[in-house]
Amino acid sequence: MNLMSAPGAGKTTLLEATLRALHGEFRVAVIEGDLQTDLDAQRIQALGVPAFQITTGTVCHLDARMVARAMDSFPIDELDLLVIENVGNLICPASFDLGESLRIVVCSVAEGAEKPKKYPVMFNKADVILINKIDLAAASDVDLWQLEANIMDVNPKAILFALSSKTGAGLSAWTDWLKTAVQTRTSLPLAGTN
Amino acid sequence: MSNKPLRHEVFPPVHEISIAENILQIAEAKAREQNARSIQLIKLRLGTFTTIVEEALQFAFEVCRQGTLAAEAILEIETVEMVTECMVCDSQAQPAHGICLICRTCGFPLRILAGEELRVEYIEVDLKQEESLSLPFQNEYQSRPMY
Repeated sequence: MNLMSAPGAGKTTLLEATLRALHGEFRVAVIEGDLQTDLDAQRIQALGVPAFQITTGTVCHLDARMVARAMDSFPIDELDLLVIENVGNLICPASFDLGESLRIVVCSVAEGAEKPKKYPVMFNKADVILINKIDLAAASDVDLWQLEANIMDVNPKAILFALSSKTGAGLSAWTDWLKTAVQTRTSLPLAGTN
Repeated sequence: MSNKPLRHEVFPPVHEISIAENILQIAEAKAREQNARSIQLIKLRLGTFTTIVEEALQFAFEVCRQGTLAAEAILEIETVEMVTECMVCDSQAQPAHGICLICRTCGFPLRILAGEELRVEYIEVDLKQEESLSLPFQNEYQSRPMY
């Protein structure tokens, strides 16, 4: 699955929480994309999950060639789930198909309710949209209903989960869904086949 | 499983560079197949519901075409407007209204029929003279040889 969001939406923290939930049930590996540093890969490896860091230099997205090369680091046939955490960016990653079967977009409440309207292509191409940091809704003065309505405008078919990786609220609904999705992978809609 | 970070070989600030490089690869592969001397024109269909900006792509193309068979080529971009259709009610294909992909008539999701294109339609090439008539173009990239 291809995990995308704006910088700072909480992709890595959410991924850590998700990996903890999958622990022991699924064989997972992670490809991390960032412009610089392997800090994110270190965080994932600290959980005992194999992780490979791609540093893109100044390139604002991952493309399929980079992912193909990184995939050599894993015994792909022995994995149940390969997670690609894309470069934090709501624009370019939307246009680069990485061969994923699931596109996940994380949108944090603190970014405001208008992000789906401003970046419609990214939100339109998501299979699942995770509204993160709902514990900050009041502090951010963001109306969750408005945010959900704006998401539905650009992607009426998206599966939505509202959660907080920090407090754990709503997290199990997402991780349960993901477990079922991995188990029934063959019946999933493929990304890009709207 | 730690490994040394992988670094991409190019260092552009915009994603249009990657797209331009790939367009050139597609065009050059096709041109070589036809023993072309050079590429005169690359015709591209580009939808408006993509993240690709035409001006930025033209700029990236001018940078990337240097040293390729397309060093003097024109990138001709046909813009494809967004067209949607209701998945439920029988309404005809309708132009997208803003960015709302919910049918205004019945409230069900709209299907995107056009506007997501990013496709090399054809290329125009200069053929080596003695082979110019003997090599018809085949498959999806239609080409119009120039003499």
